[in-house]
Amino acid sequence: MKWLALGGAAVLALLGAVAVGPAGLSTDTATVAIIRDLRVPRALLAFLVGGSLAVTGAGLQALVRNPLADPYLLGLSGGAGLGAVGAIALHLTSPWVLPASAFVGALAAIVVVYRLGVVTGAVLDTRVLLLAGVVVGAFAAAMMGAIMAVSSAAELRNAFVWLLGGFASASWQTVTVFAAYAAVPVTLIYVTARPLDLLTLGEEPATYLGADVERTKRTVYVAASLLTAAAVAVSGTIGFVGLVVPHAVRLLWGHLHRTLLPAAFLLGGTLLVLADALARTLFAPVELPVGVVTAFVGVPVFVLLLRRWPR
Amino acid sequence: MGVTLTLPRGEGVSVLRLSLFGTSLAIALAACATREPPPADRLVDDLGHPVALAGPARRIVSLSPSTTELLFAIGAGGSVVGRTRWCDFPPEATSVPSVGDGLNPNLELVLSQKPDLVLFYASAANQGVITRLDGLGLAAASVRLDRLDDVPRVARMLGRLTGAAARADALAARFAAELDSARAAGGAATRPGGDQRTQRVALVSWDNPPIIIGAGSFLTDLIELAGAHNVFDDVARSSAQTGIEAIAARDPDMLLVLGEGIPAFAGRPEWQVVPAVRRRHFVAVQGSEFERPGFRSLEAVRTLRAALSRGPVR
Repeated sequence: MKWLALGGAAVLALLGAVAVGPAGLSTDTATVAIIRDLRVPRALLAFLVGGSLAVTGAGLQALVRNPLADPYLLGLSGGAGLGAVGAIALHLTSPWVLPASAFVGALAAIVVVYRLGVVTGAVLDTRVLLLAGVVVGAFAAAMMGAIMAVSSAAELRNAFVWLLGGFASASWQTVTVFAAYAAVPVTLIYVTARPLDLLTLGEEPATYLGADVERTKRTVYVAASLLTAAAVAVSGTIGFVGLVVPHAVRLLWGHLHRTLLPAAFLLGGTLLVLADALARTLFAPVELPVGVVTAFVGVPVFVLLLRRWPR
Repeated sequence: MGVTLTLPRGEGVSVLRLSLFGTSLAIALAACATREPPPADRLVDDLGHPVALAGPARRIVSLSPSTTELLFAIGAGGSVVGRTRWCDFPPEATSVPSVGDGLNPNLELVLSQKPDLVLFYASAANQGVITRLDGLGLAAASVRLDRLDDVPRVARMLGRLTGAAARADALAARFAAELDSARAAGGAATRPGGDQRTQRVALVSWDNPPIIIGAGSFLTDLIELAGAHNVFDDVARSSAQTGIEAIAARDPDMLLVLGEGIPAFAGRPEWQVVPAVRRRHFVAVQGSEFERPGFRSLEAVRTLRAALSRGPVR
């Protein structure tokens, strides 16, 4: 029943998103091309990114045992933003410069945060990881501010607009590449569902109950980071989905990661598809940043759910 | 940009006048109705804020490239003692010390130039700095210079502020007349190959997310004066974020870009849905006359008209 509802909502959201847009719905060749080459890949990309962010958020919240954890907590958005801003300031021009430089920046942030998080041997300390993520993010933000202040590239302001998030770059190419890439980290996180359940009890109890805590932490951290880096590269930093969707799923259907993770994927994808459809159509031809809409749609729903928070 | 502010200061002045003119409300209202236009030293800026200058300004910090350019054009360039880092025209302007950014500027750098007048772009972002300049007894004026119709009005205002009114008024009158005749001649532009229909263009200023120029920008004036039509002239703002689909749905004949040659985004798969991108129908223009409105705008119109009739860049 639950899966039917979630799957049905996802399909309806995708169909609805494909049906609406400034060009309307008709069968002339121009509109068919718009639907086939813009709306369908854009809706699919929004779904995949929303699902990935929600799974990442769920995994990281369990990993650091902090309800405030979201995909950007570990310095990734800072690294990605610095990459994008740096590339524009250096006047690099290529059709792929923004996604490529953001991805490289995010990877650099992952490496630095991971190195800082590994204390004494191979033990990944999640508290240190959290702090490392925050300081690396802050440092990257400071570097971005400095580049903004010094550089004469007037386009830098637009890099920030890009960083706010959106699916303007969606094409069949982006969807295919992202889907193929995301399959690996999403599967890796799903495979750790059982150890993640144990990890929510604390690292020591989880070890006693037979979980390979160190391996779980490394897997989840690396998979979540690589997934987020790709999401940022194709769509900027879209907030809210990764933070709130996992909580919503927990409130509705409980804490077991074997159901939490796929349910979060479906709900996150559905939410982002709806948010993007609204962003495209509410004030057409003017488009809203999708992150604004995710919060507008998601906050009221989440407020209702919070009233059911177990006391 | 372009936020209208109502400042309480102006009301305070009229209350003072009312009480000076007598005890009866009727007399006061009559006095108010027949109030003379403000003298030169009591000019009101584009936010309705009186400019407290005793005489012509001699040390001006100009915090917008368009006012800097106009000051030099009306012969008041010698009074400019500070500019933004974006003020690059005329070339002489670049020898004036820069105080950095024009929006929400660095007050200490502005004050270090010992100005008697600070010119701002009319924006809510500057309100804090303007309030502090008021507190220091320094004159500030906010200028709204977005469209070509603003150019003569602002030139006259700058002329009165700097004591260069005669030259400024003459230049403003000439520009206004040229603008009128350019408007009357509008619609005469041709498409490449002698096609007489009006070219429909979209000015794409950024590709991800797509940002287009709307009716609030002087660039739309330039497009219309060049005999073309901006397909996004229903967007009231000067620029707005949009989607590739909206551009494809409006199907412009040409995409206008500021820069050189075909932009990199023309190579991205998602943009191929826009027919003008698929056909590589790009017109590229560049130069600081396309970055701000001013007396050079009609020259920019001629450049744009020539570029549009030459057809797509290769």
